[in-house]
Amino acid sequence: MRDVTIGQYYPSDSIVHRADPRFKIVILILYLVTVFFCESFLSFGFMTFFAVLTVILSRVPINKVLKSLKFILIILAFTTFLMMIFYKDPGNKPLAEWGIFHIYLNGIYASVKLGWRLLLFVIMPTVLTLTSTPTELCDALESLLKPLKLLHIPVHELALIMSIALRLIPTLIEETDKIINAQKARGAAFESKNPFRKIKAMIPVLIPLFVSSFRRADDLADAMDSRCYRGAKGRTRMKKLHFHVGDVIALLFWCAVTVCVLFLKYNWLGWGFISAWSL
Amino acid sequence: MIKVDRLSYVYSPKTPFTKQALFDIDLKIDTGDFFGIIGNTGAGKSTLVSHFNALTRVQKNSGTVLVDDMDLSAKKIDLKKLRAKVGMVFQYPEHQLFDDTVFKDVMFGPKNLGLPQDEQKERARQAIRLVGLDFDAIAERSPFELSGGQKRRVALAGVLAMRPEILVLDEPTAGLDPAGKRDIMQLILRAKETCPTVVMISHNMDEIAAYCNRIAVLDRGRVAGVFSPRELFGSEKLLAECGVELPLVTEMAAGLNDAGIDIDRSIISEDELVSAILKAGGYA
Amino acid sequence: MPFLEFKNVGYSYISGEDDYIRALDSVSFSVERGEFVALVGCNGSGKSTLARLCNGLIAPDDGRVTVDGDDTSDKSKLHGIRKKIGVVFQNPDNQMVTTVVEDDVAFGPENLGLPPAEIRERVDLALKSVGMSEYAKSGPFRLSGGQKQRVAIAGVLAIKPELMILDEATGMLDPSGRREVMDVVKKLNREENMAVVMITHFMEEAAVADRIIILDKGRVAADGGRELFEDTALFDRVGLELPVYVRVAQKLKEKGLDIGCPLDITSFVENTASAFGGKGRGV
Repeated sequence: MRDVTIGQYYPSDSIVHRADPRFKIVILILYLVTVFFCESFLSFGFMTFFAVLTVILSRVPINKVLKSLKFILIILAFTTFLMMIFYKDPGNKPLAEWGIFHIYLNGIYASVKLGWRLLLFVIMPTVLTLTSTPTELCDALESLLKPLKLLHIPVHELALIMSIALRLIPTLIEETDKIINAQKARGAAFESKNPFRKIKAMIPVLIPLFVSSFRRADDLADAMDSRCYRGAKGRTRMKKLHFHVGDVIALLFWCAVTVCVLFLKYNWLGWGFISAWSL
Repeated sequence: MIKVDRLSYVYSPKTPFTKQALFDIDLKIDTGDFFGIIGNTGAGKSTLVSHFNALTRVQKNSGTVLVDDMDLSAKKIDLKKLRAKVGMVFQYPEHQLFDDTVFKDVMFGPKNLGLPQDEQKERARQAIRLVGLDFDAIAERSPFELSGGQKRRVALAGVLAMRPEILVLDEPTAGLDPAGKRDIMQLILRAKETCPTVVMISHNMDEIAAYCNRIAVLDRGRVAGVFSPRELFGSEKLLAECGVELPLVTEMAAGLNDAGIDIDRSIISEDELVSAILKAGGYA
Repeated sequence: MPFLEFKNVGYSYISGEDDYIRALDSVSFSVERGEFVALVGCNGSGKSTLARLCNGLIAPDDGRVTVDGDDTSDKSKLHGIRKKIGVVFQNPDNQMVTTVVEDDVAFGPENLGLPPAEIRERVDLALKSVGMSEYAKSGPFRLSGGQKQRVAIAGVLAIKPELMILDEATGMLDPSGRREVMDVVKKLNREENMAVVMITHFMEEAAVADRIIILDKGRVAADGGRELFEDTALFDRVGLELPVYVRVAQKLKEKGLDIGCPLDITSFVENTASAFGGKGRGV
């Protein structure tokens, strides 16, 4: 359970690691929007090429990336499969059928595209969390959201809360595991089918979990106070965010990728090869 | 009786991330034993004992675990029966308290066993008394208001109320002051009168030396040996290899021995050390 | 003027509906720069309340706590006080603010508003003092309990306090973790002249200190040098155990063998050997 990926940083010294986290976040948003515009296999392939390139450049072992995507990949494969067998294409003859399940050629295309799109969606955020420390991400968010301070939104506090949450989530998951085991050892059964009884069965887990979370929060508050914390006032950073030429180039590069994808979708100049590959 | 035969355990099997925690463990814990399990952090102690009440299931073709006549590698196990038989006290057990009164919290186990209400109450009452708490003063109080030592006793009572025949303890005295430690160990000895078999994981070698009759040393998922306390703490080399510290008195005896004083290196109690020194110096 | 001073300090907290528990009652003592003080007492003797009073996490009900002349009840002085007194707490898992060791150590100096280059320098130095430099980039989950506590100590060191309080900082560690932490603390006191107040119930750890303050039911029962360990009656009265070396020495004394009052294994062996006067020495 310790391997929950939220906030799992993989230390390395790649160009992706060194990049300014603010640019990484902006590029990620740009990338996610671009994935929305991908329609043809050509554009999917195009995006995948650059996504894979980023993974390679990040020097995070492929095992580590897959591990962090383990559960999502299973869900993804399942969704794709369901879409494939339930796809309805009344105009065409199915390639195969068993009972209520039909497989159409268009169904295969559509479901593969769905799976592929989802995969593209999850892979880059994972790369972001693997290559940036939670502190970097929180600092970046705080910096990007600075304009909101004018609206009296406590940006610093929100970023700090996020950082602490990332720090504590794996601890709490581990704790939940321990409590469940302890109560099981006292004969508690969590397997009941009845949802009402199921909730009731969770009480012996939830209460100790709350108690311990409050205790941890108290301890942490004491530790922070003791270490001279008094909010954003007068606070500086060890790792100041600096952007370099490389960051700007990367951003421009990804803008170019977006333009290409838009071209592949709308084919403004009416290029023949695009319509030929419009599948 | 617990009999472990060629038990192996692998985390996340059949993935690129697998990690083997236990390798071919052979172990026999007899009825009446006060059995110690020691080893470094990460040696597999907790993984091993969590098999004893099927919180961790024996994996396919990975050996067997027998608790009396119950085969825990079987596909179907009577969990209720097993958990009534094997009581498990985890590290910092007070963190599992949840009910609004001590009495109800201790009754949680017996209730889960499906016992009649009178029986539940009777068992809880006895268990609370067994751990040395004043039943009338404490039964209706909230467990969260109690002191650290009292909470730990209530948690222990919660397990003892299930009247286990085998009690498995993971670091029962962790975090307590010396008086608290001694009290808990006394209480475990008292519990052992009715629950004949006790298995204890501990990092506290003084406790291991003082209470256990047999001790298994785990080292990176393997059993490095099963010993009597004297054999164990006499084998300094093995302990150093497994990263286990000596009890302080043994360390003192070894120190004197190194200084050329004729004292056995496998001494495990203060009184023994005192008489050995007196003897070596010609005072007795 | 003493560095840290408690003058007739009392503190009560609420337990249950309207039950007050008197945690501390007219406690007075002081700690000078560079001292190594062990503060011992049973569970419930008020040790941890006392730790929280030292840097103004709580304010006393009666009396005064001052740090370098500044009263901890004065809110405007708190920031300055906390720069001078660092605290390491018991639970290694509840002190890290972030998921990367060096970022966590930087938390304190960042709060002081130092320039980034100086923070960097302090973080590197602090991690080096506790021997955790090679773990600078790792997360807390790969660390043992002892290592986590060393990181917590580094986090305090980076603020450059003059006094460090360890509030049962070894209480949840295994023997090797305890040793790691004790070695670091001893080194800081001996080599860098950091004042240390070590709150503990392990008497073998307390025996390392130059001075021992014994707390019993919220009051100071004794305050003195290592000679306190010779006072068996005192330890009996407050329900504490003597270090094992002293216990053995006393049993030997009853039988007519006087090896003094050894407080660590080396002096225990040396004293015994010299009491034997070469008798039984095979070398």
